[in-house]
Amino acid sequence: MEALRVEGLSKDFGGVHAVHHVSFNVEIGERLVIIGPNGAGKTTLFNLINGQLSPTAGRIYFLGQDITEMTTHRRAHLGQARSFQIINLFLNLSVLDNTLLSLHGTKRSRLQMFRSMKSYGNLLSNAQESLEAAALWEKRDELVKNLSYGEQRRIEIALSLASKPKLLMLDEPSSGLTRDEGSEIIALIRNLGPTITVLIVDHDMDLVFGVAERIIVLHYGQIISNGKPEEIRVDPKVREIYMGAEECIDRARAD
Amino acid sequence: MANAKSEPIHRTLQGQLIRLSPFIVGAVILFLLPAFLPAYVQTIWTKFLIFAIFATSFDLIYGHAGLLSLGHAAFFGAGGYVVGVLLLHYEISSFWICAPLGVIVASAIAAVFGFISLRVSGMYFLLVTFALAQLLYSIAWNWLWLNSPGMQGIAGIARPDLGIPSFRWTPIYFYYFVLIIFVLCFYLVYRIMNSPFGCSLRGIRESELRMESLGYNTWFHKYIVFIVTGAFAGIAGVLFAYFNRLISPVHLAVGTSFLPMCMVIIGGTGTLLGPVIGAMVIVFVEYFSSLFTPERWPLILGGLFVAVIMYSRGGIMVYLSEIWKRIGTHYGSTQS
Repeated sequence: MEALRVEGLSKDFGGVHAVHHVSFNVEIGERLVIIGPNGAGKTTLFNLINGQLSPTAGRIYFLGQDITEMTTHRRAHLGQARSFQIINLFLNLSVLDNTLLSLHGTKRSRLQMFRSMKSYGNLLSNAQESLEAAALWEKRDELVKNLSYGEQRRIEIALSLASKPKLLMLDEPSSGLTRDEGSEIIALIRNLGPTITVLIVDHDMDLVFGVAERIIVLHYGQIISNGKPEEIRVDPKVREIYMGAEECIDRARAD
Repeated sequence: MANAKSEPIHRTLQGQLIRLSPFIVGAVILFLLPAFLPAYVQTIWTKFLIFAIFATSFDLIYGHAGLLSLGHAAFFGAGGYVVGVLLLHYEISSFWICAPLGVIVASAIAAVFGFISLRVSGMYFLLVTFALAQLLYSIAWNWLWLNSPGMQGIAGIARPDLGIPSFRWTPIYFYYFVLIIFVLCFYLVYRIMNSPFGCSLRGIRESELRMESLGYNTWFHKYIVFIVTGAFAGIAGVLFAYFNRLISPVHLAVGTSFLPMCMVIIGGTGTLLGPVIGAMVIVFVEYFSSLFTPERWPLILGGLFVAVIMYSRGGIMVYLSEIWKRIGTHYGSTQS
C-alpha cells in the first residue's frame, strides 16, 4: 500500500525550476531519504508535499487522496507531520506547552476556550511519554529558548512525533548536531514502528545510510537516481555530482 | 527539588497560596479600599476598572496572538454608541438590553473588520485596522442620527437602569457594579488564556508556520480571537458610556485605540495582570497630573512610555514578578 505518490511535480520561482517533473512514491512504513547538493530543491519538495507551497504543475496523493490543493493544516489532520531545517519552535513557551500544542493540533479540543490545557489527562500523559522518550521531561517547565541547540533539535522531532503521524517528514534532523547526538537521532528513527512512513532530507551520510531503505538523489530539481542504498553508493552519476566534490578534495589533499 | 517529581510543589497548599497571593491582595484592595475614599476618587477607580477591561481585551489580541491592531477603539466606541443611540432614539436605558446589544454590535463589527484586516499581516494589518476604525469615526462624525442635536456625539447618558425599584446610583454603587463586571471579564480572559485555544494564540505569535503544520487553521484562530476581543472591548465601551455620560466620535478614533496599547506595553504584554496594572498607572497618573498641570498630560504620558520602553522592556509586570519570585524563593516555596 502506498503512503505518498508524487506525479510530475514542478515548482518554478520566476525562471528557476526549483523542482522539475519529479515523480516517485513511498510505501507505508518505508524509510525514504532524499539527498542532493545544496540548492537541489529538497526543502522545496518538502514544502510542496506539506503544503507550505503550492506546485506549478503536478499532483500529490497522500494515502490515496489527492491533496494537491489542500491547506497545510488539513494535511496535518490526515496524518502528515514535519520538522524544520531551521529550528522552528515556540521559543517563548515552555517545553510542555510546545508538546501539548502539538497534541491538541489534530484534536477538536484545539478550539476549547474554557478548559485548562493541562486538564486533558490523556494528552498530558502522551506529552509525558514523548518528552521522556526525548529525555526532556525534567525540563518541561523551561522555556524552549533557554535550552541548548541539541535539546531544541530533539524537541523539533518530538513535536512532529507527538501527534502519532502516519507520514513523518524530517528536514535535516541532524544538522548542527554532534556525532553522538546524530546517532541518537538515527536510533530514534530506527525505533519508529512499521506503521509510520518516514521521509528524510539530510546531508549526513551516517544518517542517510544508517536509516534509508531507499534513496532518491535530487539534482537541479530533478531526480537523477532512485534506488536502494547499495545501488546509490555505486551509481556513477551520483558519485559524479554528489560525492565527486569529496573526491576532488581527497585528491587535492593527496597531492 | 528532590521530591519535585512525586509532588509538584506548586500544587501544595502553601505554593498555591503564594501563587494566588497577588490576586488575593489585588482583590482585597479593589473590594475594600475605594469604599473609604472620597466620591471623586471613587470615580477614578471606576474609570481605571473600565480601562482595565479594555486593556485586557487588547492584550488578548496583541500580547497573546501577537497582532498589533490600531483600531481597537472601534469596538469600544461601538459599545458606547449602542448605549447612546438606544437612549437617544428609543429611550431605552435598561442595562439588560443595552449591554448585550452593545456586546453583540461590537463583536459583529469585529467580525466584519477581522474578515477584512486578517487577510494581511504585520504592518499592513496595523494600517488596515487603523483605516477601518477611522472609517467608523468619520461615519460617527457625519451621520446626524449618531449625534445629539447640535453637537458631536451623544450626551446626557444616565447611569444604567438595572430595573431594581427605588434604587439610586451613588459613585460607590457604580464602582462595585463595574467591579463585578471587571471580575467576570478578568475570570473569562483567565480561562481563555489557560485553554488550548489561548495557548494556540501564543503559538501563532511564536511561529504561525509551525502551527499550520501541527494542524491549526491559524487564520480561523486569529479571526475568533479578533471577535472575542471585540466583545470585551464592547463591554468596556458600554460601561464607559454610562461612566462618561457622553460618547463622541473621539472614542472611536486612533487616540482611544492608542490608550489600551500604552497600558498593555507599560504594564506588560502577554501577562494577565500587566494590562490591569498598566491601566492603573495610566489612569492614576492622568488623574494626578490633571490636579497639578492639566495641559501637560500628553507630555507626561509620552515620557512614561519612553521610560518604560527604555528601562523595562517587558513592562512593569516583569519587575513585579521578578520581585515576587524572589520573595517566593526566599520562603522556599515556589518551584524553579
